[in-house]
Amino acid sequence: MQNLKKTVWMHNKRLYFLVGLTLLLGFAIVVQAFLMTTIVEGVFLENLSFSAITTWLVALVLILLIRAVSDYLSKRIGVSIASDVKRDVRKRLITKYAQQPVQLAEKGQTGKKVSMLLDGVDEMDSFYSQFIPQVMQSTFVPLLAMIVVFTQHVNSGIILLLSAPFIPIFMIVIGMKTQKKSEEKLEKLASFSGTFLDTLKGLVTLKLFGRTKRQQDEIEKSSLGFRDTTMDILKVAFTQSFMLEIISMLSIGIVALELAIQLIIYESISFFTAFVILILVPEFFTALKELGTTFHNGRSSMGAANKVLEEFDTEDDTIKWGKRELVKQDVPPTIQLDQLGFSYPDSNFHLEAIDATFSPKQKIAIVGASGAGKSTMLHLLAGMITPQHGAIKINQQDLVHFTEKSWLAQLSYISQNPYIFSGTIGENIAMGTTASVSEEAIQQAAQSAGIAPLIESLEKNYHTKVGEAGRGLSSGEKQRVSIARAFLKKPNVVLLDEPTRGLDLATEKILQQSIEKLNETATVITVAHRLHTIKTADQILFLENGQLQAVGTHQSLLDNLPAYREMVSIQQGGEQA
Amino acid sequence: MRDLQKVIKLMLMEKKDIILAIFLGFIAGISSVGLFAASGYLISKAALTPPFYALIILTSTVKLLGFVKAFAKYGERLYSHRATFTILSNLRVAFFEKLEPLVPNVFHKYRSGDLLGRVVGDVESLQNFFLRVFYPPLVLLLVFVSTIFFTSFYSMAIAVILLVGFLLTAIVIPGLFSLRQMKINGRVRQERGDLSTEITELMYGFRDLKLFQQLDLKQDQLLAQSQTYINEQKQENINKVYSQSFNGFITFIISWFVLAVGAYLVIDGTLDGIFLAMLVMISLTVFEPAAPMAVFPIYMQESRDASTRLYDVVDDPDIQVSEATTTVDQLPDAAPALIFRDIRFGYMGDWRTTIPKLSLSIPSGSKTAIVGASGSGKSTLLQLVLKLQQVQSGEIYWNQHDISTVSGNAMWEQAKVVLQENHFFYGTIRENLLLADTELDDVLLKSVLAKVQLNLFSLDDHVSENGENLSGGEKQRLAIARALLKKGHLWVLDEPTSSLDSRTEQSIYHHLFAQAENDTLLLVSHRLTGLEKMDQIIVMDHGQIIESGSYSELMEKQGYFYQMKTLEDSLL
Repeated sequence: MQNLKKTVWMHNKRLYFLVGLTLLLGFAIVVQAFLMTTIVEGVFLENLSFSAITTWLVALVLILLIRAVSDYLSKRIGVSIASDVKRDVRKRLITKYAQQPVQLAEKGQTGKKVSMLLDGVDEMDSFYSQFIPQVMQSTFVPLLAMIVVFTQHVNSGIILLLSAPFIPIFMIVIGMKTQKKSEEKLEKLASFSGTFLDTLKGLVTLKLFGRTKRQQDEIEKSSLGFRDTTMDILKVAFTQSFMLEIISMLSIGIVALELAIQLIIYESISFFTAFVILILVPEFFTALKELGTTFHNGRSSMGAANKVLEEFDTEDDTIKWGKRELVKQDVPPTIQLDQLGFSYPDSNFHLEAIDATFSPKQKIAIVGASGAGKSTMLHLLAGMITPQHGAIKINQQDLVHFTEKSWLAQLSYISQNPYIFSGTIGENIAMGTTASVSEEAIQQAAQSAGIAPLIESLEKNYHTKVGEAGRGLSSGEKQRVSIARAFLKKPNVVLLDEPTRGLDLATEKILQQSIEKLNETATVITVAHRLHTIKTADQILFLENGQLQAVGTHQSLLDNLPAYREMVSIQQGGEQA
Repeated sequence: MRDLQKVIKLMLMEKKDIILAIFLGFIAGISSVGLFAASGYLISKAALTPPFYALIILTSTVKLLGFVKAFAKYGERLYSHRATFTILSNLRVAFFEKLEPLVPNVFHKYRSGDLLGRVVGDVESLQNFFLRVFYPPLVLLLVFVSTIFFTSFYSMAIAVILLVGFLLTAIVIPGLFSLRQMKINGRVRQERGDLSTEITELMYGFRDLKLFQQLDLKQDQLLAQSQTYINEQKQENINKVYSQSFNGFITFIISWFVLAVGAYLVIDGTLDGIFLAMLVMISLTVFEPAAPMAVFPIYMQESRDASTRLYDVVDDPDIQVSEATTTVDQLPDAAPALIFRDIRFGYMGDWRTTIPKLSLSIPSGSKTAIVGASGSGKSTLLQLVLKLQQVQSGEIYWNQHDISTVSGNAMWEQAKVVLQENHFFYGTIRENLLLADTELDDVLLKSVLAKVQLNLFSLDDHVSENGENLSGGEKQRLAIARALLKKGHLWVLDEPTSSLDSRTEQSIYHHLFAQAENDTLLLVSHRLTGLEKMDQIIVMDHGQIIESGSYSELMEKQGYFYQMKTLEDSLL
């Protein structure tokens, strides 16, 4: 709520302007009533000539214009505040999301973030564009109308003053009784269209089981049930407006009666006063009634706005980087893990005190059961998360002292599921580097990654569009695109998350050859799933539950570590038994 | 527009509620006009010191009209909303009926997630059609006609002014804004789609963007896209606001004319001055129900789009099913032999053919495994057998019948299917199992649950939409249980145990193969271990069969299968 107020006050200049316009609107409404009355009285009671009222008529046109224009401008200000807020919020959200560790970005929250950025921000709109201007109008216009009525005829003013509070009181009483109940029901309602979707999604299953007819009756039944629940809730809302209507009608009636009695019996007021009040009183109630509906509508967008703004309150671990440039040299750096440790906030997992040294151009394999901490190590090395204990040292210097950019510039990360962006396949390979690249370089990289024959078989070659999220590429092909990116980049360090399954033999072969080739100029650190990779590794890091059990070559681990021996032998035919 | 007519036709099924809503809406509108007219007259009359009884009658009228209005409004809201939700229900049923025969054809062209979300959303947005597009103009028309008729007794000129006002505020101005709205709306939708793509790319490709140092660039692109989208939205909103204010202004001007002309007529002597206040009050209130007409174009546009999109799908000539071509409605209750002859298949919109050319024979009662890398066309083959997709050339035979002549229902009656993605409905475990056959008793259901090692579940356990409260392994086992319970002699299993550990897998396969002993069975397997007992193994790569034979034959041959097996064994 505090945040919401803050976003509104950031635009305080325009807010004052809005208040000014609203007052002008109220003023126009009052003056309009006076002018109309003057004209009616003039011709009806004072028998003025038409030329005598022309001035009034012209003034009336002007006032009507002012009323329309101030209404338009105040709504327009609301719209432009809404636009600015949406822009700012979206920008801040993106900046915030972009600074989060990749870890968080990958923990199944992506969908939520996407909808927050798109729909969440969009839903904020009506709070600023409609709710705020409407609340102002509904506050100032009745206030002004009532003041004017009081100045004209105190009795009528008192009637308004006495009846007006009934409106909020009724709303509160009815609201309190039903609010919770209807909110519970509303939740059900929201899930109803989900049920319809559920049925549609299950159509194939229904068909395979020959059950479509029954489901059709089900839809009708639940649809009508849904209607009845909805109607129960709506009846409450309708009763509310019914009561509002009755109250306003009653008091308008009482005002009219009272005016008539004053006019005839006591002759204490003039026709003029009576008619002005008669025009102003409906304006008073209309504005109040609108306030009711506005609050009702405003609630949902206020909720949306609060939800978005709450995002800013959650504190995240950010990633630490320094200011020094890490110069890219011809020889890969020596990487040293010095008592490296990391743990996730909501989990029991700890990566504990890892010590290891990777010499230039070595081939490193990280092995262990799932959940042992292999990916965490890879993420630490990539700088996607910052160590909580110990350090990663690059040529004896702590990685966190360098800039992110200079570290990433000499690194390639080949994940199990590389993301393919919408664009051409050539553009996707060119992503490997931030520098501009020639067509030949791209082709060269594709060649090295073994994807060139496939690309060249396509109608548009390197200009073939690969759709949103790389639609149309199999996982083996995505993997090869990712390798091509690495070839283009010529990194000093390659981080590879080996695929667990699902690749065709051709891709398997290419993967092996390509990694060998990259290894000629770079240190390759692999989360390994293939025996071949492990056997040829210079060093194997064997992890168990976040602890480094041993470092060594395949043979030395086989000889000295029963757990390692067991793991390797199970895979080799263990299941066949 | 034609599509909207179809919606209207569906809508008119609820005649009673619609007529009541319109009638009550009219009463509400006209009593409101009457109320203000009477109070205007009351004041004027009072100014002339009338007899007291006249005043009493007038004030009672004012009060009475007030109550009538409030009650009528309540009734109008009640009936119009009830009609709306009944109409919505009819729409849902109607679309389900229309969509049902088109499944699975419809998925050849449309992606299922997109399509279904769209259908649901569009049906939902059509609720505004009755509520804000269809009946308010009718009510408005009735109120205006009566009001104009009433005013014509006092002054023809003022009646004409009101008529002009009605035409302007209810028809001309909304029409003009409607045209503008259409243009903007298309752009907003376009920009929104683009922004959605940008956001999705940024968030889902986050890691790669970051590692390739493209994050800043992408972020800037996104912000630029967001800005154009916001600008279009702003344009749309300003148009809306402008339309509202402009319409409001016109109604004021009409009142002004009523006042000016009325005043002139009073001075002229053709109109009694006592009616002037009444006429002015009428002109101020009669336009009140016209205010929603300002947003009419927006809802009109929305409804039109929604109905067009809905009927685009169900009337799409590409996916229509002609029942005439199927001549076989019943298949024998026995294990079928299947033959694929030179089939070719590619997904619509995909840039390569999934299965370029393939022939295969599956004898009756045999057990066949299909293996290969992901994307090699294994699952597609199963979809084709089930008629969930249709071959583009070549034939598939079920015994002697070309399956294009066999009705889907006849085939599905014989099929026991576990797909990669199995759907479960909101309800209980029992309800989901009874899909197989409603007659089954609990004892049998429980015994099957035990076979798939789901005995921890009770039959009354809750299943949420899409089975979201079940783990992947639980869903697979429940799907197998469902297939075990179903009648039929062709088993079609697409990686049915990929989320299970090998011990559970073996135990379930044991039950499954025992029950399938005399049936024809097709199994797409993610694992190569344990395929020794299959009659034949089909090895696929890029949509082609590159090897086939029994397990021992393939291992002896030391070809592709052997290498795949070696690779699998070397995985940690």
